[in-house]
Amino acid sequence: MRRLLRALRSEAWLGRLLVIVSAVVLIVVWHFWARTNSPLILPEPGPVLERLLDYVGSGRANPHIWITVQEIILGFALGGIAGIGLGTLASEFGIARRVIMPYVIVTQALPKFALAPILVIWFGFGMTPKVIIAALIAFFPLLENTYLGLTTAPAEMLELFRALRAGRWTTLTKCKALHAVPAVFSGLRVALMLALVGAVVAEYVGANKGLGALIIVSQGTLDTELMFVAFVQLTVLGLLLDQAHGLVYRLVMRRLYGSVGAEMRAAGVSV
Amino acid sequence: MNDKTGELSGRGHIEIDGLTKTYASDAGDITALERIDFDIAPREFVGIVGPSGCGKSTLLRCVGGLIAPSVGEVRIGGDVVIEPDPRIGYVFQQAVLLPWRRVLDNVMLPFEISGRPTAENRAKALEVLEMVGLSEYLNHRPGELSGGMQQRVSVARALVVEPSILLMDEPFGALDAQTRDSMNVELLRIWYESQTTVVFVTHDIGEALFLSDRVMVMSVRPGRVQDVIDVDLPRPRTFTEVEADERFWTLRQRIREQLN
Ligand SMILES: Nc1ncnc2c1ncn2[C@@H]1O[C@H](COP(=O)(O)OP(=O)(O)OP(=O)(O)O)[C@@H](O)[C@H]1O
Ligand SMILES: [Mg+2]
Repeated sequence: MRRLLRALRSEAWLGRLLVIVSAVVLIVVWHFWARTNSPLILPEPGPVLERLLDYVGSGRANPHIWITVQEIILGFALGGIAGIGLGTLASEFGIARRVIMPYVIVTQALPKFALAPILVIWFGFGMTPKVIIAALIAFFPLLENTYLGLTTAPAEMLELFRALRAGRWTTLTKCKALHAVPAVFSGLRVALMLALVGAVVAEYVGANKGLGALIIVSQGTLDTELMFVAFVQLTVLGLLLDQAHGLVYRLVMRRLYGSVGAEMRAAGVSV
Repeated sequence: MNDKTGELSGRGHIEIDGLTKTYASDAGDITALERIDFDIAPREFVGIVGPSGCGKSTLLRCVGGLIAPSVGEVRIGGDVVIEPDPRIGYVFQQAVLLPWRRVLDNVMLPFEISGRPTAENRAKALEVLEMVGLSEYLNHRPGELSGGMQQRVSVARALVVEPSILLMDEPFGALDAQTRDSMNVELLRIWYESQTTVVFVTHDIGEALFLSDRVMVMSVRPGRVQDVIDVDLPRPRTFTEVEADERFWTLRQRIREQLN
């Protein structure tokens, strides 16, 4: 009992406890709220859970999950590589920055979801339009954060590299890139979530498989329960992707700064 | 024709010629240095003292080729300095370590950049780290060291390439008195055994006198050479001998008056 109390006093454990308690409260509220409504409007948590277990357990969910995961990962990877690559070019070469930035601003001003219908016309109902939308929307945070990370290396460090007669490439790889790691990872995190949203919304426009497609199908058949099943799956998917990101980020930071340094930085930098 | 020692010592010859440095800033131009003329002989140990903001770091940056003079020039071994010189070892006012590198890897950085991270150079790095008393901390990250320890790593990083000129900007300012004393003794030993010319900026008049052949006293901004003091104390020096010497206290008094 005393140990429990002591554990509660640590902020981390208290935080976890509060999250669990509030989640339980929310589910209870959902349950009673749902009972006053038709299951067509708002199904109860119990049946949704049963349906979810059946749907996932029987393996019928797998093709949908798999398609959406592929779209997210491919879009994230393509957008990420392009964002990091162009961000690096823009930070290193003034002329590249002048050419790249106007295009970036224009593509940012254009709402990318608005492109989904034309992409479906061009590429059909397969994965391609979803990957493109996910990539376009994941691209920007990485470009921004890569650029920011690379251009904010401390002046004294750059002076040291100059004194040691380091070339552009050496300064980039041994100083700026390592300094940029936290910024790039926070860009990756945002990009991952945006890629998920991008893939799902693109599926709304035209798809026969995927969690977004499942939502549209269940809307058509007024199967609200199934729609909630898809919501839960998407949420879990998002959480898993975010956890994976956090894991890789912590590993990289530990590699760079050692366990003590990584912890100190984690306390200062929002992870 | 130059023999080897002649050539080596020629490299350590620094000529500062009519050097003026003006910084452009939002609040108008700041003249940090004004018409500095100064000659530093090969193997000489020169101390620089002066009030804060008088341009000491600026002077070192010009000598090191990190910034260009507005007027005048600096020559090393007869060549005008236009860019950083590989023969120069630089100790900055801040330690400037790479936080993601372990202590040993920080000291190996100059070799990695010049493409020579050999086993032999690694042995050198271990040796200088031992010299600055950090053998126990080879695998620590800079974030795990005290400020004084970090500064010693940066001294080791400058020494490891065996430079013919060592530019040191208040290198021991963050150290406690005892460590500072032992670092001073160690620095004199390295200097004595090598061919190195040392330019050493400090706030501490006693430290400048203990180390230097000559001390340059700079005036408040714009920095000028206010006085040059020959320190004719016998070498090798020890703290007890130096502090027992009447001349040390006279010179100290003289510099102190100049600075007020
Ligand atoms: N990059 C810069 N841009 C504008 N002004 C500068 C710059 N660097 C230095 N200065 C100005 O030049 C003057 C000399 O600076 P410097 O750093 O050389 O002084 P210092 O003698 O080393 O001082 P301290 O003993 O405090 O280190 C200062 O007034 C400073 O404000
Ligand atoms: Mg200074």
